[in-house]
Amino acid sequence: MDEEPERAKRWEGGYERTWEILKEDESGSLKATVEEILFQAKRKRVFESHGQVRLGMMRHLYVVIDTSRTMEDQDLKPNRLTSTLKLVEYFVEEYFDQNPISQVGIITTKNKRAEKLTDLAGNPKKHIDALKKAKDSTCGGEPSLYNSLSLAMQTLKHMPGHSSREVLIIFSSLTTCDPANIYELVKTLKALKIRVSVIGLSAEVRVCTVLTRETGGSYHVILDESHFRELLMFHVKPPPATSSSECSLIRMGFPQHTIASISDQDAKPSFSQAHLDSTSGGPGLSMGGYFCPQCQAKYTELPVECKVCGLTLVSAPHLARSFHHLFPLEAFQESPLLLHHTERFCEACQGELKDKSVFTCPSCNSVFCVECDLFIHDTLHCCPSCIHSRSAP
Amino acid sequence: MKLNIEGLLVYFPYDYIYPEQYSYMLELKRTLDAKGHGVLEMPSGTGKTISLLSLIVAYQREYPLEVTKLIYCSRTVPEIEKVVEELRKLMEFYSKETGEKNNILALALSSRKNLCVHPEILHANIIVYSYHYLLDPKIADLVSKELSKKSVVVFDEAHNIDNVCIDSMSVNITRRTLDRSQANVETLQNTILKIKETDAAKLKEEYRRLVEGLKEANVARETDIYMSNPVLPDEILQEAVPGSIRTAEHFVGFMKRFLEYLKARLRIHHVVQESAPQFLKDIFEKVCIDRKPLRFCAERLRSLLRTLEIADIADFSAITLISNFATLVSTYSKGFTIIIEPFEDRTPTIANPVLHFSCMDPSIAIKPVFERFQSVIITSGTLSPLDIYPRILDFRPVTVASFTMTLARTCLCPLVVGRGNDQVAMTSKFETREDFAVIRNYGNLLLEMSAIVPDGIVAFFTSYTYMENIVASWYEQGILENVQRNKLIFIETPDAAETSMALEKYQEACENGRGAILLSVARGKVSEGIDFVHHFGRAVIMFGVPYVYTQSRILKARLEYLRDQFQIRENDFLTFDAMRHAAQCVGRAIRGKTDYGLMIFADKRYARADKRGKLPRWIQEHLTDGSLNLTIDETVQLSKHFLRQMEDQLGLSLLTLEQLQSEDMLQKIAQIAHQA
Repeated sequence: MDEEPERAKRWEGGYERTWEILKEDESGSLKATVEEILFQAKRKRVFESHGQVRLGMMRHLYVVIDTSRTMEDQDLKPNRLTSTLKLVEYFVEEYFDQNPISQVGIITTKNKRAEKLTDLAGNPKKHIDALKKAKDSTCGGEPSLYNSLSLAMQTLKHMPGHSSREVLIIFSSLTTCDPANIYELVKTLKALKIRVSVIGLSAEVRVCTVLTRETGGSYHVILDESHFRELLMFHVKPPPATSSSECSLIRMGFPQHTIASISDQDAKPSFSQAHLDSTSGGPGLSMGGYFCPQCQAKYTELPVECKVCGLTLVSAPHLARSFHHLFPLEAFQESPLLLHHTERFCEACQGELKDKSVFTCPSCNSVFCVECDLFIHDTLHCCPSCIHSRSAP
Repeated sequence: MKLNIEGLLVYFPYDYIYPEQYSYMLELKRTLDAKGHGVLEMPSGTGKTISLLSLIVAYQREYPLEVTKLIYCSRTVPEIEKVVEELRKLMEFYSKETGEKNNILALALSSRKNLCVHPEILHANIIVYSYHYLLDPKIADLVSKELSKKSVVVFDEAHNIDNVCIDSMSVNITRRTLDRSQANVETLQNTILKIKETDAAKLKEEYRRLVEGLKEANVARETDIYMSNPVLPDEILQEAVPGSIRTAEHFVGFMKRFLEYLKARLRIHHVVQESAPQFLKDIFEKVCIDRKPLRFCAERLRSLLRTLEIADIADFSAITLISNFATLVSTYSKGFTIIIEPFEDRTPTIANPVLHFSCMDPSIAIKPVFERFQSVIITSGTLSPLDIYPRILDFRPVTVASFTMTLARTCLCPLVVGRGNDQVAMTSKFETREDFAVIRNYGNLLLEMSAIVPDGIVAFFTSYTYMENIVASWYEQGILENVQRNKLIFIETPDAAETSMALEKYQEACENGRGAILLSVARGKVSEGIDFVHHFGRAVIMFGVPYVYTQSRILKARLEYLRDQFQIRENDFLTFDAMRHAAQCVGRAIRGKTDYGLMIFADKRYARADKRGKLPRWIQEHLTDGSLNLTIDETVQLSKHFLRQMEDQLGLSLLTLEQLQSEDMLQKIAQIAHQA
C-alpha cells in the first residue's frame, strides 16, 4: 500500500490531537485503527448520485472569489488566496472536461467592490490565464456579496431559460459590506432562478445560509485543503434542473475540423473569429479550423457560440461526455471481504483483495477493490466488466 | 406518541423524544408519587416545558383525587406565552388521540391586556402565571390564596428564585416615597372628612367590623381554604385591630406620626444599620408608637381604602409600601435588617438618603408555598450546585437531579482562557483589574475572536463601571478601531430603551452579514431575559468572574445571616452566585440542539475546581483538561476548528417509541439523570 501523500508539513497544521483518534484493540495494538483511518480516507463516498432526474446540462456558472483582507490568512498554505486560485484553476479544467457545453465566468470582490475577472465563456484557457495573473494581485478591504451577486445577475438573467444559472461563491470573510438590503436581492435571485452556492473558508455565516437556502444552492465550510477540493469538485457535476425550467430544442452545429493541405495553393491562412476581439496575442492566423456550418465563420476551438450567427458549435464527443451525468453508474454494494471466499482478486486491476471491504457491481456481480471502485465511478463512468460481457457475443 | 412511564400512560405530542426528557419525566413522576418537592436541572432547549406539562397532565388524569391543579410559574411574559403554546399542542394531541372533548381547563395570567375575570377560572386545572402571583405577598393574597392544597407548583427558570423571594419581601424607602405618602395621607384625610359629612354610617360599619376582628380570616385559614400570607402571620389573626387605629381619623394621625418619624430617621449623615427590634425600641422611645398597631398597619390601610371606595389603588402605592413596611418590621424579628444610607457609595457628595429594609432569608417568602402545596418542583437550565437551593430556601426535596444533553455532536465548546499571548494571567480580580496588560489582553482576545467568529458575539463584563473602564482604555489603545473593522459594536446601558434599541440593531447586523458584538453586563437585562439563538450568538465571552459588588452593606448583612443561620460560608455563597450568573450568561448562546456556540470564560480562576465544579453538568461535561488555562492563540485555534466542524448541521439524538422500549436504552437513560 502506498504512503498517503502528505498534505502539509505536520508542524504547519493546527493543534491536532491525532493521538485521541487512536484506540488500542484487545491485543493492545494500534494497527487496526491506523488501517481503519487510512481506509476511511480512501473510501470517502464520492457523492450521492441523483438517480434518474433531469439535470441542468447547459450551465452558466459565475465563480465569485473573495479577495478581501481575510484571504491573506495562512491557514491554507501558502495562503488562502494562492491555494484558492490554484484549486479554482483545477476546478475550471474539470468543469469543462465534464460539462463541455457549459460556460464559466469569474468575479472577484474586494474593497467593497466586485470586478469581473473574465466574462462568461466556454474556453478554459482564458480563465486559467486570468487566474494565474490574479495570484499576484493584493488582497484588501472587505468583500461585498451584494455587489458580486448583482454583477453576476446582470449577465445571468439574459441567459436562455433552458440553461441552468448558477453562482458559486468562495467566501473567506465573515462579513459583507453591502450598499443595500441583501434580502431584497435574494428575492430577485430566487425569482430569476439563479442558484447560489457558497463554500465558506472560515465558518458558517448567517447571510450565506439564508442565501443558499432560498436559492436552492448548497453551503459548506471547509475543514482543510483536501476537504476544500472535495467541496469544489462537488460543483463539477451538473445540478438537478428545477422543474420549472424551460424545455426547448437547441440548434447546434457540428463543424468538421478541416485543414487545407499544404499542397493546395489556394489555401490562405485566416483569422479565427474568436481571436478578433481578444487582446491576448497568440497565433491569430492559421490554416485550418472549424467552420460554422451555417455561416462559415472560422474557429480554432470548440465548443463556442458562433459570433456571427449565434449557433452553438460543439463536437459530438462533447455531447457524449455530458451524457454520463444523465445515466450515472449505480453505486457498488459494499460488503466485508470475509463474505467473499471465491473471489480473491479485483476484477479490474487483478490485484489481491486486501482491504476489509469489497465492492460488487449490482448488475454483473463482479468484485472490485476500493481504488478501482473510485476510479470507475469518478473517471470511467461505466463498469468494465459489464461492458466486457456485453461486447462478447 | 404514547409513553409508559412506570405504569403511567403519558401522551406526548411529538413523534420523537429525547432520552433526557424521558429521564426527566421519570424523576418527576417519582416526585409526585412521593408527594414531595423536587429540584431538577436540565439544559434549555431540550424540551423541559413539554415534558413537565405532559407528565403532570397525565398524572392529573390518572389520579384526579391526588393532584387537582397544576400551577406553572414562569418568569417573563414571553416565557408564559411559550408555555401556553406547548400546552395547546398537548391538548390538541389529547383530543386527537382519545377522541373525546378535552375537559381540562387551563388559564394563563400574563399581562393586563389578557386579563379575564370569569368565575370559572377558579376551577381551572392548569394555571400559568408569573412568580410574583405566588411569591409576592401583596399580589399572592389577591390571586393565589384560594388554590387547593393538592396542587403541583412548578417554578421554571428558577435559578434566581431566592432573589425573587427576597425582593418581594424587601422595602426601600427614599425621600420621594415619604413625600408621596404624605400626599396620600392628605388625600385620605380629605376623603374621610367628605365621607363623614355624606355617609357617616359607612365609617361606623367599618369600625364595627374591625372590632369583630379578623376572625373571618382566621376561620378561613383554619378550614384550609386560604394559603397563609407571610405579611399577615397567624398570631395577628387571633387579635382584633387595636383601638388606637380603629377609627379612620386616628389611623390617619397614626400614619402621619409614623411618616414624621421616618423622615427624621432619614436626616442623617452616616450609615446606620440596625435590627428590627432595635428599630421598634427606637420608635417607641421617640414617638411612642407601639409594636402592636404597627403590625396591623397593612391590614388597616387596606380596609380603609376599601371603605373609602378608592378606585385607583395605584395612586396610593407609596402609602401602601410604608404600611407594608410597618407590618413587616413589627412582625419579624429575625431575617431582616434595616440599613439607612445617607448617600450612594458612588456619589458621596449628593445627599440621597435611602432606608433599606431588606429581607435576608428567602425562605420566609416561599415558606407558605412549600407548606401549603404537596409538590413543588424547582427547575431550570442552570441550578448547579443543586444542594444549595434546598439549603437557602429551607426545604427538604425528595428528588434532586441534574440531566445532561445527549448530543450526536458536541455543539458547545467551553474554553477557559487564562493567559494572554504574553503569558500574563487574565483575570478580573480586584487587585489586577486596572492592570494595563490585563486590559490589553482582554482587548486582544476580543479582537482575535471578532476575526474568526461569524455573525454575533456577546461579551459580558462583571459590572457597568468595569465595562466603562475597559472600553475607555480599549479606545485609547486603538483596539476598538481594529475590532470595528470586523464587526460593529453595541453596548448595553442601564437605560432600558437604549438597550433595546442596541439589541435591535445588533440583531439586524447579525442578520445581514455585517456581524456584531454586543458588550453587556452579567446580571443585566441582556444576561437574564434575552436569548441569542443560532447566529445571534455564535460565541459568548465572559470577561472575568461576575461576583456581586461585595462592599454593599445589604449583601454583607445577608452573608452574615447565611453564615449564622444556614452555615453557608460567605465565599461559598459568593462563588455560587457568581457561577450561576456566569452559567446564565454563557447559556444564552445555546438554546437547543440544532444550535451551536463557543463559551469563552476569560479568567484564569474558572480553571479552579471550586469554580468549575459549580457550573451545570451539561457544560462541565464538555470542559476537558485540554480546554483549561489556554492562551489567546490556542483559543483561536480551537475555536476555528470548532466552528468549521459545526457547519454541517446534523445529528439530533431522538428516540422513537420502539427504541424506548429496548432494555439497554433504558439503562442508558438511567445514567443521564445524575443524582446529586
